[in-house]
Amino acid sequence: MEAIAPQVVFYLFGLPITDTVVSTWVMMVMLIIIALIIRKYAPHIGEFIIEMINSIVSSVMPEDVRVIQFLPFLGTLALFLVLGIFSASSHSWCPPLPTSTQPLPCHCWSFFAVHYFGIREKGLWGYIKDTASPIFVFPLEVISQLSRTLSLTIRLFGNVLSTDLVVAIIFSLIPFIVPLPLAALGMLTGVLQAYIFTVLASLYIASAIEIANVEEERRQMKQELKKS
Amino acid sequence: MWQLDTGTIITLFTIMFAVGGIVLGSVVPALMEGKAVQKALEGMTRQPDSANDLRTTLLISMALLESTAIYSLLVVLILIFGNPLLDRFFG
Repeated sequence: MEAIAPQVVFYLFGLPITDTVVSTWVMMVMLIIIALIIRKYAPHIGEFIIEMINSIVSSVMPEDVRVIQFLPFLGTLALFLVLGIFSASSHSWCPPLPTSTQPLPCHCWSFFAVHYFGIREKGLWGYIKDTASPIFVFPLEVISQLSRTLSLTIRLFGNVLSTDLVVAIIFSLIPFIVPLPLAALGMLTGVLQAYIFTVLASLYIASAIEIANVEEERRQMKQELKKS
Repeated sequence: MWQLDTGTIITLFTIMFAVGGIVLGSVVPALMEGKAVQKALEGMTRQPDSANDLRTTLLISMALLESTAIYSLLVVLILIFGNPLLDRFFG
């Protein structure tokens, strides 16, 4: 259990900085450097990655929505998850994802992004009104939003941790070649997990927007009925 | 008859229920995921045009099904490595 809890490395202006934060910074720097290198030397690889994320996101979004406006958030989430899971399964440095605090901010960001995109699409009052269209649904909706964030967090944590533990146990038994296929399997399932979490985040965003669309259609139908 | 102290009894029951919990919590979601895969494959062979939609839905629902197994794994890990009852009696 000591390996799961984040450990304080140093203090910055009196704030405790844990190893999770430090390795997240390393991952951010790596992402930025890789992006700069790709932009300078091989732009078609970046195009390929963006096309891939675009096709993944647009496969779950409704068809009349411009997908490109969500790509900065969802693509960053996907790349961050892929890099984090790779670093967790390759044991290269202290991996941020199987510690107990790192998966929560990812899903907190997707929690806020759902509401941000919903409010931007519909306006603050309209979004609240659409969420609580029969008024007794509103507490249930709030509970489901919060529990969804919690369950996503626990799921990501458990997924990465389980692969990590299996590799660690095999490594403690036979520390030679035998853990390699398991680590490769961990990388494969890690990419699958990143795909699934991106798809889930875009599904939640799609549901937040779709409510708005349905309400708008209903309003337009009412206006047409009044005109006729 | 054996004279077992409280810590031994708690540890014994913890290990028994942890093993039972991980067996139940991994076997039942695995069976149900197999069922989901089976139905999705039947649908794919029947209608190959909708294979892409089916694959996306299958992956999402597999992730949602798998989460119960992961919850039970975490509960078992907490029971084995950070047992709160042992801390209460012997902390």
